Amino acid sequence: MKNMAVLSVQILFLALISKLGYFVAELLSLPLPGNVLGMLFLLVLLWSRVLPLRLIEKGSLLLVQHLALFVIPIAVGLMNFGDPLLDNGLVMLLALGVSLVVGICVTGLVSQRLVKPKREESHGTEFPDHAV
Amino acid sequence: MEPSFLITLYSLGITITMYAFSRMLAKEYAWLRATPVFISTALIILILTVGGVREQDYSQAREILAFLLGPATVALAVPIYKNRQHLYAHAVPVVLGLVTGSVATILVVVAVAKLFQATPIVLLSLGLQSVTVPVALDLAHLLKGSETLTAGVVIITGMLGAMLSPWLMNRIGIHHPMARGLVLGTLAQEQGTAQAAVEGELQGAIAAIAMGVAAVFIALLAPVLMPTLI
Repeated sequence: MKNMAVLSVQILFLALISKLGYFVAELLSLPLPGNVLGMLFLLVLLWSRVLPLRLIEKGSLLLVQHLALFVIPIAVGLMNFGDPLLDNGLVMLLALGVSLVVGICVTGLVSQRLVKPKREESHGTEFPDHAV
Repeated sequence: MEPSFLITLYSLGITITMYAFSRMLAKEYAWLRATPVFISTALIILILTVGGVREQDYSQAREILAFLLGPATVALAVPIYKNRQHLYAHAVPVVLGLVTGSVATILVVVAVAKLFQATPIVLLSLGLQSVTVPVALDLAHLLKGSETLTAGVVIITGMLGAMLSPWLMNRIGIHHPMARGLVLGTLAQEQGTAQAAVEGELQGAIAAIAMGVAAVFIALLAPVLMPTLI
């Protein structure tokens, strides 16, 4: 019971930050989603140690773990989308497939090329792989 | 007319049950690992249609669950913060790999779709393919696109990306755990991150960071880039 109350308060706090993000984005007319701004606010709060991680960790990780559940209902709206989807479906799939192949190659090769020399030089002293 | 309380309760029940069921399937069978969102969406649509529940009747259930999207997106700061050591250690390859890969993906998807005369609404949704769903929805709204179509595109991308990436990376010799996590998180958002976490701890951590950073990056880029592309 106490656990539920703690989680609810944590989630409520996150919801408030999200609202604050939308409010600030609107106020300054930033072309940035309020959610993203809220995420940046929370990051700053954590990084600056104003907000200790343990105060929001449980609720945050619960939400992140079940992100998919909150997304599925929006995708269900596709049931009203029959015709445009059927018309464009094949083209969209093709475009997504081709761009993914390119994206995977670019992201993977660029990042791996850049990380390798550093690893060899430092040989696990300066940049240990599991420095947590 | 507002959907009745019972229909909303029924819709919520179906949604949560199918979500739990598809997650169970994904845990049980390795080849279904990247598909829980797709499978549950398809099952829910099927069950609602067979049961005669219309899309409008579902709206209340959607609003209840979608309310949590905002706080859930904000919460993405937590995995980034918890894994910040990995970010410090690999800052240059992470940032450059993410930026070049995201931009290349957007340019290619728009180019291919334009070749087939796709409409601006479709182009916009495709351009947001790699952004985590809640942010992609906000961006679609901001740029006057279709939220539903964008959700569909992002979910399909996540599924394709999570299934295709490990196979393709093995083919082209991407073996470094950092690079593998980065690819999965940058291009296949939630579903890629889940796949990366199965590969290993570093992969999962980098993927979680990449998903968040890519969302911020594209949120900054799309309002400038997309109107000129479409």
